[in-house]
Amino acid sequence: MYAYNPLLLRIGVPGLLLYTRARQLRHVAKDPSNITFFTHTRAAITLLAERLMRHLTPKVLSNSQVSDRYFEMDFEWPHNAPPPSPGSFFTVRVSESEIPLLRRPFAFSGFSRGNSTASMLYERRGTATRQLTTRSPGETIDILAPLGVPFPLPRSETLPVLIAGGIGMGPIFYLAAELHSSGQEAVLIVGARTAGIVPDRTEFQLVETILATDDGSAGCHGTVTDALQNRPDLLDRRLEYFACGPLPMLRAVHQHAKARNECCWVSVEQTMGCAVGACMGCAVRVRGPAEYARVCTEGPVFDSEEIVWT
Amino acid sequence: MDLSVTIGRTTMPNPVGVASGTFGYGSEYEQLIDVDSIGALYTKAVTRAARPGNEIPRIVETTAGLLNSIGLANVGQERFVTEKYPSLRERACTVIVNVAGDVEDDYVETVEFLEEHAPLSGYELNVSCPNVKAGGLAIGTNPELVEHVTTRVRSVTERPVIVKLTPNVTDPAEIARAAEAGGADAISCMNTLVGMAIDVKNLRTVLPGKTGGLSGPAVRPIGVALAYRVSRAVEIPLIGIGGIDGPDAALQYLLAGAVAVQVGTANFVDPTVTGRTIDGIRTFMQEHNLQRVGEIASLLR
Repeated sequence: MYAYNPLLLRIGVPGLLLYTRARQLRHVAKDPSNITFFTHTRAAITLLAERLMRHLTPKVLSNSQVSDRYFEMDFEWPHNAPPPSPGSFFTVRVSESEIPLLRRPFAFSGFSRGNSTASMLYERRGTATRQLTTRSPGETIDILAPLGVPFPLPRSETLPVLIAGGIGMGPIFYLAAELHSSGQEAVLIVGARTAGIVPDRTEFQLVETILATDDGSAGCHGTVTDALQNRPDLLDRRLEYFACGPLPMLRAVHQHAKARNECCWVSVEQTMGCAVGACMGCAVRVRGPAEYARVCTEGPVFDSEEIVWT
Repeated sequence: MDLSVTIGRTTMPNPVGVASGTFGYGSEYEQLIDVDSIGALYTKAVTRAARPGNEIPRIVETTAGLLNSIGLANVGQERFVTEKYPSLRERACTVIVNVAGDVEDDYVETVEFLEEHAPLSGYELNVSCPNVKAGGLAIGTNPELVEHVTTRVRSVTERPVIVKLTPNVTDPAEIARAAEAGGADAISCMNTLVGMAIDVKNLRTVLPGKTGGLSGPAVRPIGVALAYRVSRAVEIPLIGIGGIDGPDAALQYLLAGAVAVQVGTANFVDPTVTGRTIDGIRTFMQEHNLQRVGEIASLLR
């Protein structure tokens, strides 16, 4: 169990039971009819998660570069706001002007209940994120938070393997910290193009961490799944995967998990319009009659079995 | 001071609505604003059968604009009645159901179905969606087809029928006159403009369907010009849409001749935009000693 999981506190026992039950069922019998059950369960969880959303204007506490490509912003978490969970996200109105126009979604990369501080890891990539790097401590940011269905609790009999690729590191670091603080054993695998983009994190001391780089500049030379294949001691155990990163990485982790008949949770990314479930813009292909699910409210975390991998 | 606006037999409490497709069915924004304070809620389009929507990605931001190709993704009329209608029926604001279809019969049958199972304040006929192969633009660009579908829908409902125009024609005023001839109670103007964005690095269009519909501040001057022109071409009221993101933009439309407005893309940027816009219109009316919102248009010199 997470030391503190506000979603679970708020969805109450019926919601938690439904969710756990759905997961058990799917693993008891992997037949397609379970997708229908899953779809309904997801709808119930979505409704509960939506109730947490608030329009907030917290104060920036710090905002600094943490690696070659990445920045991290800490901001005050309002006392009256429902706290986030690993995998949940928020949207930032980056500018008062029309360019950039839309809010930008970011995952939480950390949350401290004691200090009432939330964090976001972000990559300086375009106009919006460049503007974000100029925000100074004391300024406020306009956010909608917390949004989305977060990662579920790891099943008790499995070893959680947390897999991060690129900027997908943010929510995975947060998950690693939460699992550690609840005394849960976990393994963290971090994939990056090159060593320089990986920030130095306290989580690396807390949780066993394996690094994989495309150019071999640090850790294993290869992908996150290559790194996993190099660890027969881990492969001997029953694993459960929690992954966030680029689509090819998520697909590879899903295929790896599927081959071993293990459970895999993926946090997917899609361009968002409203981020509150209204516009149907941030769709992802899923199995079942609906064909698509909204990443913002039915995700961003999905059971990888639900996704139609193309 | 009277902010109400009357369309057919329905009176909206104020002139600021939320545009179809940008506000879901209202409940999505319940946590963020007082949905009942909006003048009119135009639902996500409802079609006879459920539609999964278009291929992904479906949206891309362009300069001060949003290009979308959602493809009328919705649960269909039957699930609309069971899942969406119960909460919409309780709304204090005016609720207009946006209706779309492939062919004329679809519009008529959906309105008939809703009349029987989910009667709300009125209907907005979406004959202007640029992101579907059939219906949408194929009807909305042809005055005869617009008049015909309007006439047939008119014959099955007493509730207000609003026809939503596309800007993707040489003369939207001609389409507006056709809707008026068919018995429409009002025109909403405008739907999105056909646009395209190309990813130069990958040498392909960003949207798999190639084109999308452009909305946002980028299109506002086009919408204001159309409101000015089309409102003068017909006797029925015009509801202005296009890049409205606050009081200034809304007042431009009201001065141009619109009796009401719809806020669309701006809901994504600032959920409080409708409240700010209503307040701003009220302040403007005080400053100009106006008693009724309909008097705003007369101020334009």
